[in-house]
Amino acid sequence: MAERKKISKKTLTKSFHHWYYGHLTCFSQEHMQTFGYLTSMLPIVEELYDNKEEQKEAMQTYTAFFNTEPQLGTIVVGVTAGLEEARANGDSVDDETINGMRAGLMGPIAGIGDSLIVGTLIPVLLGIALGLSNGGSPVGAIFYIIVWNLLAYFGMKFAYFKGYELGDKAVEFLVGPQGQAIRKAIGIVGGMVIGGVAATWVSVKTSFQMKNSAGEAFLVLQDQFDAVYPGLLTGIFIVFCWWLMAKKNISPIKVMLLLVVIAFVGVLVGFFNPGLSY
Amino acid sequence: MTISWLQAALLGLFASLSSMPGMGGSSIGNYTLGRPLVGGLVCGLILGDLKTGIICGVAMQLVYIALVTPGGTVSADVRAVSYIGIPLAMVAIHAQGISPDSADAANLAKSMGTLVGTVGTVLFYGTATLNLAWQHIGWNAVEKGDFKKLYMVDWGLPWVSHFVFSFLPTLIMCKLGASAVTAIQAALPMDGLAMKTLFTVGSLLPCVGIAILLKQIVDKVTDFVPFFVGFTLAASLGLNLVACAVVSLIFALLFYEIDMVKIKKASAGADLDFDDDDEEDI
Repeated sequence: MAERKKISKKTLTKSFHHWYYGHLTCFSQEHMQTFGYLTSMLPIVEELYDNKEEQKEAMQTYTAFFNTEPQLGTIVVGVTAGLEEARANGDSVDDETINGMRAGLMGPIAGIGDSLIVGTLIPVLLGIALGLSNGGSPVGAIFYIIVWNLLAYFGMKFAYFKGYELGDKAVEFLVGPQGQAIRKAIGIVGGMVIGGVAATWVSVKTSFQMKNSAGEAFLVLQDQFDAVYPGLLTGIFIVFCWWLMAKKNISPIKVMLLLVVIAFVGVLVGFFNPGLSY
Repeated sequence: MTISWLQAALLGLFASLSSMPGMGGSSIGNYTLGRPLVGGLVCGLILGDLKTGIICGVAMQLVYIALVTPGGTVSADVRAVSYIGIPLAMVAIHAQGISPDSADAANLAKSMGTLVGTVGTVLFYGTATLNLAWQHIGWNAVEKGDFKKLYMVDWGLPWVSHFVFSFLPTLIMCKLGASAVTAIQAALPMDGLAMKTLFTVGSLLPCVGIAILLKQIVDKVTDFVPFFVGFTLAASLGLNLVACAVVSLIFALLFYEIDMVKIKKASAGADLDFDDDDEEDI
């Protein structure tokens, strides 16, 4: 019996790099990350199969539509590398096993990745970076460039190789109860930091005043708001925008247009006044 | 402030690298160069005014703090925000003679960048549509077993899409837009209704950015609690963001421990049904 085929470390790394760089370069609405997937699997398929026909057959598997959150989705590419190796060794793995797994994981991984990476990690890093760049300093931008790229590169590499080594088990951990507990905990950090970002950087203020006959303001509305809860108006506007988008399914662009209308009316009635001067 | 052809061309190159789907790959392209904060740094370096660049970048970043593109639907285009919006906002700030440090400058940048970013979604659909042609070449290559061509399809040919939909629009908009912005600003008085509205919109827009993010993390009303605790720490107690993050860790730890206890209990409970011997262990 022939020796079991094994993908070399070099080829796996090459495959990972193809995914790391090219998962979205040839994006279309019809086939989002499919070509990234194909270029990523190509080195593996070429190493495992000598015969052109076999290569063709293997590559055909990965022509199926693929799209997920690309950072966390690296784990799926790693798992398929492991499955392809098993198939080349004659284990009972076929097209359907691989594509069933891919199709089944796309959705959950996209959901987890979007909320964990795009919705929490990146905003938290950016929030800290914004503070460092306050007043026009480049430090925050440089901080973000370095920290994010190190995390993304090594995180994705880790996910790829864990996927290859552990197969389905790697994913089980993500979607399992312990993974869920960790995600919930990270969500708390994300929520609180975003709250801090909102309070620090977003400022909705009213200029509305009531004046007595002598022209002195006896009611400054903003001061009243501050006495109740600092940042009250900002908080109300954020929850209002959230409600429109999350509960009324209004698109962000329409919400922005609505804000233009609110700003216009607000300026007309004297509720808003940015206090411009030359 | 003016933008030279060379500067506009450099901005065009960065636009090609940074867009979603960009030629820098998403980690370096979209998620690094495409973030307005980083865009502000790059634009500041190219246009020779680092401070104004960063200030515009910081302002724009708030509006797009969480640019999530679920299933490839976009509400703003990062290349347009970062490499057309920011340069034009920088020109506008200089044309108006506003101090870059002021809130006015930030609000102007937000209105300007958001407008450009929203209109810029056209570029996203343009790029994605032209890529269909390259993908067609790719399918033929797979069919014939001509696999090496796949690298060309994935890494080479999309540059053509970006030349048409990233490089050229950025080049033209930055070069011609700069004089247009200056002219418009001169025509509209700062204390007029139009300008006041524009600046007020700028201060309201980040609410949408934060709300998009909250949509990701809030399912039920109680999910708002961490957000408002963080909000209160910063607004009422004046903590900075790193301090907020540190305080949040203790809550995260608590929630994790509680959940793990629940999981252990649930699995121990399940074990009980099968094996009574485990009882002593609990």
